[in-house]
Amino acid sequence: MSATATTVRPRRRPPRAATGSPMLLGHGRLSRVLAGTALAVLAAVWLLPLLWAIATSVQSEQDVASPGLSPFKGPLTAEAFRRILDRGNVTLWAFNSFLIAGLVTLITVTVSALAAYGFSRGTFRGRRALLAVTVAAIMVPPQLLVVPLFEQMLLFNLVDTYAAVILPQVVAPMMVFILKRFFDGIPRELEDAARLDGASEFRVFRSIVLPLSRPIVAAVAIFVFIGAWNNFMWPFIVTNDPDLMTLPVGLATVKDAFGIQYAQSMASALLAALPLIVVFLLFQRRIVDSVATTGLGGS
Amino acid sequence: MTSPPPVPETAVPSPPAPGLSRRRLLGHGMAAAGALLAAGPLSGCASPASASGASALSVWDLFQGGDGMLMDDMIRAVSSGTDGFEVDRTILDWGPSYYTKLAMSAAGGRASDVAVLHLSRLAGYAPGGLLDPFDLDLLAEFGVTRRDFTPAVWARTRHAGAVYAIPLDVHPFIVFYDKEAADKAGLLDSSGELAAMGSPEALLDAGKALADVTGASGILFGHVTDTAQSWRQFAALYAQTGAALTLPDGGPAEIDIDAAVRVVTFMQRLFDGTTNPRNLDYNGAMAGFLGGRGGMVMLGEWELPTLKKSGIPLGAAPFPQVFDKPAVYTDSHSFVLPHQHDPDPARRREAHRYVAAMVKQSLTWAKAGHIPAYQPVLAEPEYAALDPQSSYAGAAEVAVLDPPNWFAGAGSDFQNRMCQPLQSALLGNTSAEKAVRQMVREADALLRRPNPVA
Amino acid sequence: MTTIAPLGTGRQAGPPGTRADGRRRTGHRGTRSTPGSGLLFVLPFLLVFALFMAWPLAQGLWMSLTDSSLALRDTAFVGFANYAEAFSDPDVWSSLGNTVFFTVVSSVPLVLIALVMALLVHSGLAGQWAWRLAFFAPYLLPVTVVTLIWTWLYQPDIGLANQLLGSFGVGPVGWLSDESVAMWSIAALTVWWTVGFNFLLYLAALQSLPSTYDEAAALDGAGAWRRLWSITLPQLRRTTFLVAMLQVLASLKVFDQIYILTKGGPNGSTRPVLEYVYDVGFTGYRLGYASAVSYLFFALVIVVSLVQLRLFRQED
Repeated sequence: MSATATTVRPRRRPPRAATGSPMLLGHGRLSRVLAGTALAVLAAVWLLPLLWAIATSVQSEQDVASPGLSPFKGPLTAEAFRRILDRGNVTLWAFNSFLIAGLVTLITVTVSALAAYGFSRGTFRGRRALLAVTVAAIMVPPQLLVVPLFEQMLLFNLVDTYAAVILPQVVAPMMVFILKRFFDGIPRELEDAARLDGASEFRVFRSIVLPLSRPIVAAVAIFVFIGAWNNFMWPFIVTNDPDLMTLPVGLATVKDAFGIQYAQSMASALLAALPLIVVFLLFQRRIVDSVATTGLGGS
Repeated sequence: MTSPPPVPETAVPSPPAPGLSRRRLLGHGMAAAGALLAAGPLSGCASPASASGASALSVWDLFQGGDGMLMDDMIRAVSSGTDGFEVDRTILDWGPSYYTKLAMSAAGGRASDVAVLHLSRLAGYAPGGLLDPFDLDLLAEFGVTRRDFTPAVWARTRHAGAVYAIPLDVHPFIVFYDKEAADKAGLLDSSGELAAMGSPEALLDAGKALADVTGASGILFGHVTDTAQSWRQFAALYAQTGAALTLPDGGPAEIDIDAAVRVVTFMQRLFDGTTNPRNLDYNGAMAGFLGGRGGMVMLGEWELPTLKKSGIPLGAAPFPQVFDKPAVYTDSHSFVLPHQHDPDPARRREAHRYVAAMVKQSLTWAKAGHIPAYQPVLAEPEYAALDPQSSYAGAAEVAVLDPPNWFAGAGSDFQNRMCQPLQSALLGNTSAEKAVRQMVREADALLRRPNPVA
Repeated sequence: MTTIAPLGTGRQAGPPGTRADGRRRTGHRGTRSTPGSGLLFVLPFLLVFALFMAWPLAQGLWMSLTDSSLALRDTAFVGFANYAEAFSDPDVWSSLGNTVFFTVVSSVPLVLIALVMALLVHSGLAGQWAWRLAFFAPYLLPVTVVTLIWTWLYQPDIGLANQLLGSFGVGPVGWLSDESVAMWSIAALTVWWTVGFNFLLYLAALQSLPSTYDEAAALDGAGAWRRLWSITLPQLRRTTFLVAMLQVLASLKVFDQIYILTKGGPNGSTRPVLEYVYDVGFTGYRLGYASAVSYLFFALVIVVSLVQLRLFRQED
């Protein structure tokens, strides 16, 4: 898909900020050429695996299995893609991934934004202690919990359900923290006016704070979505039924080609890569912003 | 979000076969999602399996090779007709992944209705409550009884007085060869079969002769990153030396170190990296043989259908005897009933009927190269006519299985751990002595662990 | 409870942001709110937090003191037997060692290459969008896509890597089969996969740097290299610290790509501690023992975090 990517234009060019300071390189021609060359080499190295995968995916298994450095050893064919799509697993897993990542994002963002607002504006007893616990919980690696979580899911009789995949993923103390910090920075005057008019706290949150926080909420949502979409370990552990699996789990677990067939294997990889790459092409700017703002915990 | 999503076409690994239904599986998910959305997490307790109410039988296996396609044929055969089954087949990655998932799904209580299990693994499943026993009366009702199996195989199906597995086959690790190449290399006997080797040197020479004929390699063997292949070969050769191997709980492992070193040294000499490549992975060896870059390949007989399709004049033979005693490494695929918390009696009955119907299909299964465990099939003239299966049918008589222990058997961590030092030795990264010492250390470490299924 | 102290003054060791936040002291007073207000907002989070974080944390600790098994049988309290076993289990140490080794060999290039990429892209060459796509796209790939592609590249016989080497008369290399190479191969794949994330962090930092110093230096006749070393890189110190800290913590948690690619092989040489947890807990049924190993891993994470935090404070 990167081959097409280079020909597809983004809908909007990124604003000027994206083009760095030319000062950095000085005005020397030589340094520009050097930098350009280095960049081109790096980019080529980074694109090569994807391009090789694409080339492999559009050939017959026999051609792929013959040695040689030429990327195309025979006539092009969409056979590998056809077989993968015929089998339908990748489509089903993509659907599961969308459903699961979508629900995780929805619940996480809702729960986290509410909590962040409560922590930011609330006056309830124990607020500071709970906030401290939340911040400390950022240090807990989710992977630490897989064994007891599985035991918990056995207890709830939830192993092999969507609920088991989704629920443990919605606890995101980091996102609460990021959102709270943003809410802290919103001036109170607007809200106080609304409160004087008798608006409920929830109304203040919904109609004043949330609209002002759209960029950070979007950033958090994108971050959570990418994380859930690509999450492997927990979904892998708690789903055994292939029809509940997400893309990465299904592809790693279920074998549906008899014998290894690299063209098909690359075709299914590319199909699985496609959704998020397309989303990236559509929302490049937002995704880049999301990573930049949430990546360092909002600092 | 609550409206039903579009139903994806198929969810099944194999090419769509008539009668296979995937609805139940999607039903699962939808039921769970619906429950989650409608009433919060705990309502997910309502088992999605029973919620869907569909009759399709879910079956799990790990057949990724050529035999996987024949399993499809067998399922198709038992799915036809008025009392045909509706079957949902899932193929998982062969090895620890499959066995881990099988155990986890059984612990979760929503396991498939029927699954395939290597008999060598039974000791890790039946005692831990991860399998439900078969009802022999029910099986008899569908025409399958213990008299249909050899006593040796049947003995390994039992635990605590109950039968937990119904064997489908016996499947040895053997050699395939290119008949033309072997002929030119002078390796065939008067009847056109691979001549007996009888000594380590004979097999080494055979490799050289084959390499001369192919102009590339002689004997191909894929083991790199594989978690069973080198153990299979080692276990076969080790058994040929006549030495014993036992794994008593608590340890230490009883193994003849000298014999083991002799075997590993021979494996290193055989795969020297020039006559016979030493750094192939499983698929590399397959591809090499199919591409004519080797005259012989050491594989499980289950690769027969894939190899046969290639058009190579294919011969097969039991794993060559090079040491004192004939022995072939073997296992047996069998059907089991993974534990379900709340099995539906009607489905269980169907599961029994399915298992009985499938073992009766084992003539088809024999096309995969496997030796049917269901004896009536072996007596049929159609079986005798199968070529080259008849060339190695005798392998079943000198079969060696893994010693029974909860952690041993096909696709186990045990085999994986045994393969790692073997792979290092074959790649020339370590000596035979060191490799064997590590194997013993690993086995002892496993034996010292508390047995979690006891 | 009517006067509220400035926010974010949580004293305990938190992530880097905590302190910065505490310092900002945007102090406000929760004036007109009634006592107890806001709890309802926090409640849903508290619920999921209690259920899916606090509970398993406590449960895991309990399980680590039992012989809890995946097989369906009764569980017995065994005291610290699991911990004692773990301390004398060479596989625990070797997998912890592998984890640390991976963390080092992946984190260093993941920070340095990201920095180089960001500096080059920031230099203002045409095609910003294409560069960012090239470097960041792999980050968006699910792990299995990455491993499928690299399994093919690393294929010993006809894979691209060995064929390229072969055309120079080198190799073949057992990328995933040679004990001394496999972890490096996995690190290379990981760098390819995730460097785009750090790259974007650096790029954002570069774009937010004030250009005044740089311009002043340029007017004073300082060359490009000089300005890079004396102005830009020092300005990126803080970012580098944060990126490195996050990277180290992320690398310590490695499981996915290794599990899928090598299952920890060859010969356990790539098995990280989290895979050992999976192997002994699920494949080997011993959930209690796996919990104990998990907590040893947690101890490692906490120690590394504290060391980093200390370094960061000194630096600040």
